[in-house]
Amino acid sequence: MALDRLFNLGFDLFSGIAILLLVSIGLAVIFGMRGIINLAHGEFIMLGAFATLSGVRSGMNVWLAMLIAAAAVGVFGIVLERLLIRRLYGRLFDTMLATWGVSLILVQAVDNHYGSVTEGIRVPVGSFTVGEFSMSAYNLILMGAAAALTTSTFIVMRKTKYGLLARAATQSPTMAQELGVNTSLINMWTFGLGSALAGAAGALLAPLVGVIPTMGHTYVARSFMTVIVGGPSFIAGTVSASGLLGLVENVATNRFTPVIGQAMLLIAAIVILRFMPQGLTGRRDTR
Amino acid sequence: MMAQLARLAGSGASSARSSLGTDLSVAGLALVAVAILGNTVEEFTAFEWSLWAIQAILALSLVLIWGYGGIFSFGQAALYGIGGYTYGFWAINFADNTGESLTAVVAAVVVGAAFAALLGYFMFYGNVTNVYVAIITLATSLVLFAFVNSTSGSEYRIGDAPFGGYNGMTRIPRLTWRLPGGASHELTRVQFFVVCVAAGLLIAVGIRILSRRPFGRIAVAMQHNELRTELSGYNVRAHKLALFTIGGGIAAFAGALFAAWGRFISPPIFSLTPAALVVIWILVGSRSSVAGAFIGVLIVEGLSSWAGGADGNNEPIVLGAILIFIVLFLPGGVIANAARAWALASRQAANRQPAPPNSQEPAQASQIQPTASPVLDWMAEANGERSNSPIATRMVTKRFGGLTAVDNVTLEFPSTGVSCLIGPNGAGKSTLFGLLSGQYSVTDGQVLLDEQNLTKWPAFQRARQGIGVKLQVASIYKELSVRENLWLACFAMPHNRETADVRTEQLLEWLRLGEHARNPAGLLSHGQQQWLEIGMVVATSPCVVLLDEPTAGMTREETRQTGELVSQLGEWASVIVVEHDMEFVRQLGAPVTVLHRGRLFTQGSFDELSGDERILDIYLGRE
Repeated sequence: MALDRLFNLGFDLFSGIAILLLVSIGLAVIFGMRGIINLAHGEFIMLGAFATLSGVRSGMNVWLAMLIAAAAVGVFGIVLERLLIRRLYGRLFDTMLATWGVSLILVQAVDNHYGSVTEGIRVPVGSFTVGEFSMSAYNLILMGAAAALTTSTFIVMRKTKYGLLARAATQSPTMAQELGVNTSLINMWTFGLGSALAGAAGALLAPLVGVIPTMGHTYVARSFMTVIVGGPSFIAGTVSASGLLGLVENVATNRFTPVIGQAMLLIAAIVILRFMPQGLTGRRDTR
Repeated sequence: MMAQLARLAGSGASSARSSLGTDLSVAGLALVAVAILGNTVEEFTAFEWSLWAIQAILALSLVLIWGYGGIFSFGQAALYGIGGYTYGFWAINFADNTGESLTAVVAAVVVGAAFAALLGYFMFYGNVTNVYVAIITLATSLVLFAFVNSTSGSEYRIGDAPFGGYNGMTRIPRLTWRLPGGASHELTRVQFFVVCVAAGLLIAVGIRILSRRPFGRIAVAMQHNELRTELSGYNVRAHKLALFTIGGGIAAFAGALFAAWGRFISPPIFSLTPAALVVIWILVGSRSSVAGAFIGVLIVEGLSSWAGGADGNNEPIVLGAILIFIVLFLPGGVIANAARAWALASRQAANRQPAPPNSQEPAQASQIQPTASPVLDWMAEANGERSNSPIATRMVTKRFGGLTAVDNVTLEFPSTGVSCLIGPNGAGKSTLFGLLSGQYSVTDGQVLLDEQNLTKWPAFQRARQGIGVKLQVASIYKELSVRENLWLACFAMPHNRETADVRTEQLLEWLRLGEHARNPAGLLSHGQQQWLEIGMVVATSPCVVLLDEPTAGMTREETRQTGELVSQLGEWASVIVVEHDMEFVRQLGAPVTVLHRGRLFTQGSFDELSGDERILDIYLGRE
């Protein structure tokens, strides 16, 4: 196999993994830290994409628009947390159902406002060639962004005061409260952070995919499977699960069709969970 | 919910029969009323109503698996879709030749149930948590959606029937029947309506029957306390799988009717909105009663067809708002809330009457009967048949990550008699019990019972083999009544309803819990809860009884009585007691094994060990 072809395949693979990581990391933060199943996660991604679209349409620089979009979705997440999620911690199924309600409303509301078909935005950077193959430079940016966002999430969780308190509140909410931690505020920031990450994913994907109200559905199944296959130590888990499931999806997509790729991702995830019910980073010896 | 359980609780054989009679007459009356109604309204209206009946059947499938079994699935609508497509493929290919489409319905049910069984196998036998079940079923629906959407090419076809991609499958035959050799009859719209309603009512009655049978009771039990159900000897995973498979068959059946109804089915059936709808129906109605499925569909579909008349686009917004509203303000659904309001109102009315005598007197009345009891007889009977079966461990080790909780322990206990296991906190006593009962799997070494190697056996099989365990924190069904708790344990071993009914009453008497029989077990005092769990262990006629801190939370008198009880059990079984109360250990007068830091420290009689300075050292933390 020629070297340039090999490079092209690898480039494809890593683009796929980067996208999987981007769409999953926000969900992983919210699920890993607060045990909240946010079924509106796909719609947060969609909001990020639409916010970017609006910014670019109003003449804003595309990078600036992406940044603002991520922040805006973060703020939206915080508002939602204060109004709704806050009342539902510890009620697993209820949060799932309520966020599902949010998801249904968001899709329809955006559809009513923007319509179900929109014109996309241009990919802001060009392409480069390796041997016979032309590749999009934007995918390099995606890989960089995925790595940067994951690393900074890790640093925030490990090195900042917020991260320490958030981890404390996760492990023992009552103890954290007795020590004087305002867990309610910490929860709010955690949800906001996860939402902003989802928004950033949507913003970064906006030039690549059709920005439509139902675009979240494309990602929600994949991101959930990635996060649960990742398991309890959620950053390391999401990275390794993205790598593994991304590989499966990429190979199946290249060999067959994107739909088969998605199906294979799901099947691989279910088979992995059959033998490692707590995910890749779960302790296998607790039972 | 509670009313349902209360009804489940008290039903002896005769009352079960009469409530079946009630169910059937209610269903029969409903059917007659609906049939008359269907013949009086316009044909098209009856046809529209058929859809509601079909949706109620779909909702019933979720009532069965979520309301009774506690398995929350987002996938019922997807199974409905699978049923619809299967009906389409089958009927398009064969109905012209056979002159009937009933076999297509059967095919749909079989395919739906098989799909559910396959998915369920991976989920339940992987022991994934309930949340993951929800996520996996959701993801499966979405992937099916993407797949069916992509099948527009003419190469996607089965026989004469193309998938049709996002356009869906069209020209699906109506429901048609034919007697062998006779002419074929297509159902009229009104007939179809009556058939749908009749099917829905039949399935509802079927679910009610199932809920009164042991299968349904075990489903409710595993929803409330999966661990205890497994430790009583029930195969929880197989039960979940069976329940999920039946639910899949019912959903697919509804899907087949749906395809026959509209003669059309398309990929959005696999999308999020229908998946949400099913959940909303039974949230609005009630997740734990079959009536809730019908009422929920009527309310939600009635509302949305009323709201949709103005602007159909806003249906998802209305649905989303309903979901959030119910979660915030009406958890439990309309029926449960109405029932609660009704109960509150009638209690207030009753409060104006003089107060009835308080039935919940404090625990002093409940003393364990010291004299011989039939309970011990059937224990003796069971263990008399068994060969002498000492339980033993051979060099077992259990590591949790970096922590070695049990370290290379080799022990053997006599086949009858009491033994005590002591040691300071963290000595590995409860972990060792977990390894014996199968809650934990060993890292290394073997667990043997009667020379048989149980090391790889799951907990429920070990329970069937005769290992019973009372956990450190009483593991009972707190929401179920005391009688149900005992009945579930009694039914586990000889799978026989009559025996279980008799033994439940004997146990109630033996434990002196008769007056609390109808109360939720969670209301019992600490000590009574311990006794209840001991009773549940005894109910399975075990040959090995593991008691983890049986006297925690008991008064001195209760402790003394427990000691007598333990000695009684020791005549017929090997009873191993973990205890911190040294007075209690002295009272038992049994050989004592000391564990320390996961290792076997020493063994001997209480008197020998009480003089041992080293034991004082490890308890006081002196090195």
